[in-house]
Amino acid sequence: MISERIKSNLSESFTESLLPKLGVAILICIVLFAIFAPILATHDPTRTGYYDDSGQPYPPTGTSYETQISQDGEITEVAIEPSDEHLLGTNTVGQDVYSRFLYGARVSLVVGILGVLMALAIGVPLGLVAGYYGGRVDDVLMRNADVMLAFPALVLALALIGVFGESPVFVPDPIVYVDSFLDIGVADGMPTAIPIPGTVTIVAALVTWVWFARIARGEALSLRSEEYVKAAKSFGTPDRSILWRHVLPNSVTPIIVLATIQVAVIILLEASLAYLGFSGTTLSWGYEIERGQDVLRTRPWVAVVPGIGIMLTVIGVNLIGDWLRDALDPNVDNSTRGA
Amino acid sequence: MVDPILDIEGLTTRFFTGEGQINAVSDVDLTINPGETVGVVGESGSGKSVTALSIMDLVEDPGKITAGTVRYRNPEFAASIAERHPDAVDGDYVDLLAVPKHVRRSLRGTSFSMIFQDPESSFNPSITVGEQIAEAVEVQRRATTRPRSVSARSTRPEYRFSDFLLSTVFPSRGYVSESSKQEAISLLEQVGIPDPEERVGQYPHEFSGGMLQRAMVAQALAGEPDVLIADEPTTALDVTIQAQVLELLNDLQAEFGMSILLITHDLGVVARMCERVGVMYAGKIVERGTVSDIFDTPAHPYTEGLIGSIPDIDTPGGNRLQPIAGNVPSLLDSEMGTRCAFADRCPKAMQRCLDEPSELDASGSQSHTAQCYLVSDGYAEEEALPAGYFESSGGDS
Repeated sequence: MISERIKSNLSESFTESLLPKLGVAILICIVLFAIFAPILATHDPTRTGYYDDSGQPYPPTGTSYETQISQDGEITEVAIEPSDEHLLGTNTVGQDVYSRFLYGARVSLVVGILGVLMALAIGVPLGLVAGYYGGRVDDVLMRNADVMLAFPALVLALALIGVFGESPVFVPDPIVYVDSFLDIGVADGMPTAIPIPGTVTIVAALVTWVWFARIARGEALSLRSEEYVKAAKSFGTPDRSILWRHVLPNSVTPIIVLATIQVAVIILLEASLAYLGFSGTTLSWGYEIERGQDVLRTRPWVAVVPGIGIMLTVIGVNLIGDWLRDALDPNVDNSTRGA
Repeated sequence: MVDPILDIEGLTTRFFTGEGQINAVSDVDLTINPGETVGVVGESGSGKSVTALSIMDLVEDPGKITAGTVRYRNPEFAASIAERHPDAVDGDYVDLLAVPKHVRRSLRGTSFSMIFQDPESSFNPSITVGEQIAEAVEVQRRATTRPRSVSARSTRPEYRFSDFLLSTVFPSRGYVSESSKQEAISLLEQVGIPDPEERVGQYPHEFSGGMLQRAMVAQALAGEPDVLIADEPTTALDVTIQAQVLELLNDLQAEFGMSILLITHDLGVVARMCERVGVMYAGKIVERGTVSDIFDTPAHPYTEGLIGSIPDIDTPGGNRLQPIAGNVPSLLDSEMGTRCAFADRCPKAMQRCLDEPSELDASGSQSHTAQCYLVSDGYAEEEALPAGYFESSGGDS
């Protein structure tokens, strides 16, 4: 499926320009943060600053949090400044911002990638079938897709979450699991399972598949009249094989480019929903921004750190998307691309 | 006289477009005997290719075959579907237009195969040539492992979605099996491609046009078809390669005994390859006969015009070529009318040409016929249409 020409195009536009390197570097960092979060984290990201499991003040030594809580239980002032103990400070309930940044990367990436994979699984087959068969099949499938497109993503997401709940899915943390056999340096007290927002992922797939269906349909529509499709028909290849062997492999390029960019879109959607408090997990960058918003002037790190996380991830994904498009799209003239 | 392997009667294919109905093929009769090469000539837009696609059942929307019979002789096939589709079976013959789509598709490859005009675009650029030929072999192999009468090609017992996913990671988990790949190599050898072991692993862009056309012939031969339909097989090739490909088709015909339906606009190719010829104009076969009938005693003025427009090397000084005046008529139903479609370009158009001409015997042998009143009545000067008749009537000049 990946020809020599595509490989050489990819490597050429990678070495020629700085931006793809930047994008790949950023994304590799974020992915490493996400995978090794339990090792890199200094604190349990979910533990608040008041008490530990045994009811003792937490942390047991050093700064006393209680002194910062006002008499009427106002908790916003708990957020402490970056220090040796908390590299990037703590948020308004005393959780370690750095550790939450690492774990937040997991949620963002998992939702983004899982959402796109689900959207691909729905959209690409439907689009290919619609474009290949045309006629009434095309009408029915694509008019349905247009209906989906008419819903604003955020409103649809809120409605579905309202109906089905947030349904977070708790996935056992593989790193912590491995650590229970081999000591690979996970600090004690790290969460053994991480919550993945279930409904949000499904909603992301539901609002995204239409784009994949449209692209796949367009490709199938032009590929079905190719001579080689006709030739394959003429010696008796069944339609399913033609779709898999001749249509899909030749339409995969724009789909890959779109998939990359949609990862960023879904990450933003998840952040927006988390900001509104509908994500199903509090371990999310969007949720942290919402929490830091009230203290943005006095405790900026609470909101700025997850904000930078979202920004870097989205920029990284988009830079990679641009790189792929430049390298894979035959309509982009490689010679005129800026170095 | 042998029974024809393919007997087409009254084949009519129409395209239903937004502008109206287009009569691409009207009432075409054609018979092909076993081992014979039949040519169909005509200019662009005369319906040659649509005739071929209609036989293959590859006419695409909005085209439909609206009338006619395509009777195919294959006792084994007739017996196998006699129970399910008794209406379609007539002795050894099966009317292909009366059986469901999936049954017709099961004949592609094994009974009918097609080679196309442009070899460069007839191969998927992202799969190796060898694999694409092997695919044709594989399709037939899978079909024969299951009963033919059922929708044989639509069930794939061996290749599943999981195989497809794995094939994206492991190249060895391909669609085609090792034996099909070997078969592809021997097919390439058969069509005269040197070094086939190395060639199978190459992509279409590494082949020359002539080589690809040979590879396409190999692909068409994979199912050992009874009838090979060649749709302008030499048009995209340069002249020396044309001769080689035609030679190859001749050799393979001698070897496999298949029939060839050769569709072309090149009278030279027809003269070289065919025993019998049909001349097509505006969706109809206007004249048919043996090659010598057509070339030596053309009866229809259109055939005369075609032959007159061949450059002649023997005339010293060189006469100017005689083109046929005017253009191909519109095939839109609303603009066609019932008159002879060639009347407005015909130098000998007469009053009665405004009626629909019937098929007339030109030689008394019934093997050479033409749809033209000149055949039966000769040219009557006094009935001639006045000059400019069609311009003034506002027709499709």
